[in-house]
Amino acid sequence: MYIAGMGIIFNRGRGLDILEKALEDGWVNSGSVYGVPEEVLKDKIVLKDARRADDFSKMAILAAHDALADSGLGEKIKPKLGIILATAFGPHATTFRFLDDILNFGDAQVSPTLFSHSVHNAAVSYIASTLQSRGPTLTITQFADSFQQALILADSWLEEKRCEYILVGSVDQVGKVMEYIVSQKLKFAPDGKIRSFNFSKEPECIPGEGSAFFLVTNNQKDKKYCAISGVTSLKEKPDLTILDSDGFAGDESLYREVLGKGTLVSSCAPIFGSMLTLSSFSAVAAALMLKKQKFYASPVRENPHNLNLCVENKAGKINSISCLRYDCNAKSSIINLRN
Amino acid sequence: MGDNKEQELQVIRRKLKELLVSHLSLEDIKPEEIKDDEILFGEGLGLDSLDAVEIVVLLQRNFGLEVKDMNQGRKIFYSVDTLANYIHDNKK
Repeated sequence: MYIAGMGIIFNRGRGLDILEKALEDGWVNSGSVYGVPEEVLKDKIVLKDARRADDFSKMAILAAHDALADSGLGEKIKPKLGIILATAFGPHATTFRFLDDILNFGDAQVSPTLFSHSVHNAAVSYIASTLQSRGPTLTITQFADSFQQALILADSWLEEKRCEYILVGSVDQVGKVMEYIVSQKLKFAPDGKIRSFNFSKEPECIPGEGSAFFLVTNNQKDKKYCAISGVTSLKEKPDLTILDSDGFAGDESLYREVLGKGTLVSSCAPIFGSMLTLSSFSAVAAALMLKKQKFYASPVRENPHNLNLCVENKAGKINSISCLRYDCNAKSSIINLRN
Repeated sequence: MGDNKEQELQVIRRKLKELLVSHLSLEDIKPEEIKDDEILFGEGLGLDSLDAVEIVVLLQRNFGLEVKDMNQGRKIFYSVDTLANYIHDNKK
């Protein structure tokens, strides 16, 4: 399937221009949590019918809207447009606010709006109503593999011709509860820097949030970026492998074992922060590199295992990029993109 | 006596406006911009049926008042003024 458009919102802002600048600039210390600034979520036009939406839904709406707008396909594809949203944890900040309300006021006095927004599918409903799409919609929550599963399903829907175009993407957020869980179960990077190439058994992380969306189709004429040529297995040696070693899935020593000798390696985790749906963000960066035929330097350079790191921003011939992730059960998933 | 009631109503109106803005996510409106007699639903402030349910919860939580009869609710929910009067007259 081909990528016809992309949209992204992350801690440094919204849009592909912001992403490109972030890739150029590399790592900057964004604090102990890489949250999306409140002002980034303000858009009176796109969000005019989503007044009640929580931040989780707003991030998803904006990224999905931008992916569709980026394609330039607009109104004509809406009757044939499906939506698949991947999320590792769903709108947990809203869910915990809802639970707090039950504790504080009793179950008869909780906000019905808060309840309706605690449902994982709320965000995709907002996207569908905001964009007035009329195809099938689904939300997938499968922790570390959510986005990969969403891609597999998107491919299947396109093959079955259930729809001609699909907005497939991810959204995840940070919140006080998430920060607490991370502080208890994982290790925070004390200087705000994720070191993706340390391959530690107890890696450090910086929780991040945001949303990344792709408009995908089997219509080659609509291809704007590249093709997603496969999910879950490495089919060929790519020109660049982006490691999603972000400290969020425990032991990262397996990354070292799977890398072939001389494989050119980078990681976008230090830019986006740690998220179980990080692969979707890395895939946007990869698609941008393939489109521009430009390598962006790895945002961190600590390289204790002498990998062949991508260390400078430079033009180059790129045919394929793979995004590799290991989950908490040491199971790998790979997203292959090629021109 | 009349002055006293008016003062109490003013306090209730101010609180109501703050609660409406924060609980109904009226991001572009400041509490002081809502007129006392502004129609809340449809034209005016533009609230809808989902907002009505939120206002029912808001009245329960903040003033201990229940609105069960929706015919009665239509009159009560007409404006900030009508809401404030209902709260003033029925507050426990």
